[in-house]
Amino acid sequence: MSDVMDLPAPQGDPAAGPAIALRGLGKRFGELIAVKGIDLDVPRGSFFGLVGPNGAGKTTTLSMVTGLLRPDAGQAFVLGRDVWADPVATKRLIGVLPDGLKVFDRLTGLQLITYAGLLRGMPRELASERAAELVAALGLSEAQGKLVVDYSAGMTKKVTLASALVHGPRVLVLDEPFEAVDPISAATIRRILSGFVESGGTVVLSSHVMDLVERICTHVAVISDGLVLAAGQLDDVRGDRSLEERFVDLVGGSTEVVGLSWLRTSSD
Amino acid sequence: MVAHLVRLKLTLLRNIFRRSRAQAIGAVVGIVYFAVLVAGLAVILASFRGSLDAARVVIPLAGAAGIVLWTVVPLFSFGSDPTLDPGRFATFAVPHRDLTIGLVAAALVGLPAIASMVLSAGVVVAWSHTLASTLVAVVATAIGLLTAITTSRWVSAVMTQAISSRRGRDAIAVLGLLLLVVIGPAVSVVANLGASLRDVATTAAAVVGWSPLGWAWAAPGDVAAGDLGTGLVRLALAAGLLGVVFLLWSRVLRDEVDNPRAVSRSDSGTSSGDDLGLLARLPGTPLGAVAARVLTYWRRDPRYQISMAMTPVVPLALLIPFVTGDVAWTPLLMGPLVAFLLGWSEHNAVAYESDALWLHVVSGTSGRDDRRGRLLPDLLLAAVLVPVYVAVGVAVADRWDLLPAALGLSVSLLGAGYAVSSVMSVVLPYPVAESGESPFNAPPGAAGITIAAQSMASLGTLLLASPAILLAWWSWQGSVGAGWAAGVVGVLLGIVVGILGVGVGARLYEQRAPELLSALRRS
Repeated sequence: MSDVMDLPAPQGDPAAGPAIALRGLGKRFGELIAVKGIDLDVPRGSFFGLVGPNGAGKTTTLSMVTGLLRPDAGQAFVLGRDVWADPVATKRLIGVLPDGLKVFDRLTGLQLITYAGLLRGMPRELASERAAELVAALGLSEAQGKLVVDYSAGMTKKVTLASALVHGPRVLVLDEPFEAVDPISAATIRRILSGFVESGGTVVLSSHVMDLVERICTHVAVISDGLVLAAGQLDDVRGDRSLEERFVDLVGGSTEVVGLSWLRTSSD
Repeated sequence: MVAHLVRLKLTLLRNIFRRSRAQAIGAVVGIVYFAVLVAGLAVILASFRGSLDAARVVIPLAGAAGIVLWTVVPLFSFGSDPTLDPGRFATFAVPHRDLTIGLVAAALVGLPAIASMVLSAGVVVAWSHTLASTLVAVVATAIGLLTAITTSRWVSAVMTQAISSRRGRDAIAVLGLLLLVVIGPAVSVVANLGASLRDVATTAAAVVGWSPLGWAWAAPGDVAAGDLGTGLVRLALAAGLLGVVFLLWSRVLRDEVDNPRAVSRSDSGTSSGDDLGLLARLPGTPLGAVAARVLTYWRRDPRYQISMAMTPVVPLALLIPFVTGDVAWTPLLMGPLVAFLLGWSEHNAVAYESDALWLHVVSGTSGRDDRRGRLLPDLLLAAVLVPVYVAVGVAVADRWDLLPAALGLSVSLLGAGYAVSSVMSVVLPYPVAESGESPFNAPPGAAGITIAAQSMASLGTLLLASPAILLAWWSWQGSVGAGWAAGVVGVLLGIVVGILGVGVGARLYEQRAPELLSALRRS
């Protein structure tokens, strides 16, 4: 585990310092150590991509940042506030899109977004106004009165994203936001997120899709086996190669296919 | 393929113990509790070896009851096992015959089946008078057990299909009501014949022994009594019945695998466009939002509809002994029973939402808003049902002097139920049917913890309300002072315990929300 003392914890003034800072963050599930003491700074105003192979610990790390999973070691700070020491204040600042969790799918899309706003303590008029705006912006207008259970995977993703945006967070933590989303919606989401970053917000997203991260992110961290292998500005991390090449290099997997010869038979 | 399914079931059984520690302990407690119970019953059954006449009365009745239980119980509490849900096999090209046999074989591996086998062993011992009777007993008991399990699979499959349509659901509701109406008088008729219980049992055993439910269970008795011919006829009938049930099961299975259904997805009144529904009608606060969402779920989620439909209906059963027999006191319990059910039914409320709870966690919803918002709809229902049922019960029994006691008892049970539920739904959520699954499904291997948690919730509620229960009892014994005391103490106790319990639950929720979420994800 890396030394927690490496970097000073950015406590105090929430107006300066990184948007998200992780210090020695670790999580163990029984025998499996999913996250092995991560130190990571997400600069304010960055569009930060978290990439890594399946099972690298991306979701676990993001869950510990968003208050969904209690870390076994280390600390997570959002805008200078300790997520686990002061959860109420921190949660007000972040919008969260988790991956693989259910939503309250017996509500209509519009209801779900409004519900998220109301839970955050927003006045109803404001919540429903913003919900209507988000529904329109994400192209869900026609489906806004349908139950979320009847949505496609991509539509569910979009409505969950809208729930994460409704209270006007300053940091967005998105786990696989583009999975199952069609190209047109993906472009819309990208534009919304870029606008959010331009106006001073910070976005952290995880993804398997290197091309996408390369296209939209300003910063990137490569995680594998619960450790950060590289982190920093996109250009610094990838050097003069493509992110994908650099990624494969870092993670050290082989892309050679062994066996499966029976799959290539073209006899019939 | 058959071996495969059985292995799958064994793995699931083992996995009961691989959940969180609290859940594993709950499962062990449940299993030990039932193991003792089952072993005791098996010994009692075996002891009927001493009296063939008694055995010929008791065992056919018990066996028939066993088949009925196998068929009915899964529908209402533990659910049929969804690993064995035929719909799940739709995408695999499993030969139909293998699947039919395999699913029944896998059902034989569950805890209920093991318990039944132990009981069956007791039955075989009871019949072991001669070699012939023992042999027939082994065969007949095996047939009886297989019939029970196959019938259970068949009925579950049929019900699951029925529940996926609005019409089917209504049909089941009507059927349930009819059953209730028929069972009540039957029970009271028997109760009224109490003096000659023995004769009634003997007659019933004779009738049941010649009904499809009893063929298998009565056959060895005939042989043991020396009537080989009758015994073999019954055995043949039992074998035929098993064949018929198996065919029926096989046909439903083919249906389900060919057209896997999406249970109860979208027959819910979708609001048009920008209507916020109840979210626009309750106060625009986190608490109001949680309450509005729960109310919306009551309307749209079949899993809630089942329990919502049961709660007001069950206490009505207390009217039946009054109407058919002359049992005057049962209606007095209508109010307390509905209050108990309303409070108790919330003890696993969070589990129904599964990990959708993350939204509450990331938005930092306070424990108070979460706990109170969940209980508010139930409280609204209680505000209507409890006074009405208390008044109706007292009026029907014509014991207006017991009104304060009945009211006090009801309020204390409601408050105690809310207290226990607020805490338990945070500390010990146990797996339930998932959203979109048939409400009759229950997660595999959850029976132990379900029983443990449900008993704990009941005991806790009764314990917290015990002062009011004692006073009410005293008042029933004739003390006028105790009646008023029960009223005052009960109401105060209910309110205070309720508020305190919800407060404790709220604090626990705030401390443990992430752990609760992990527990919900695992289950």
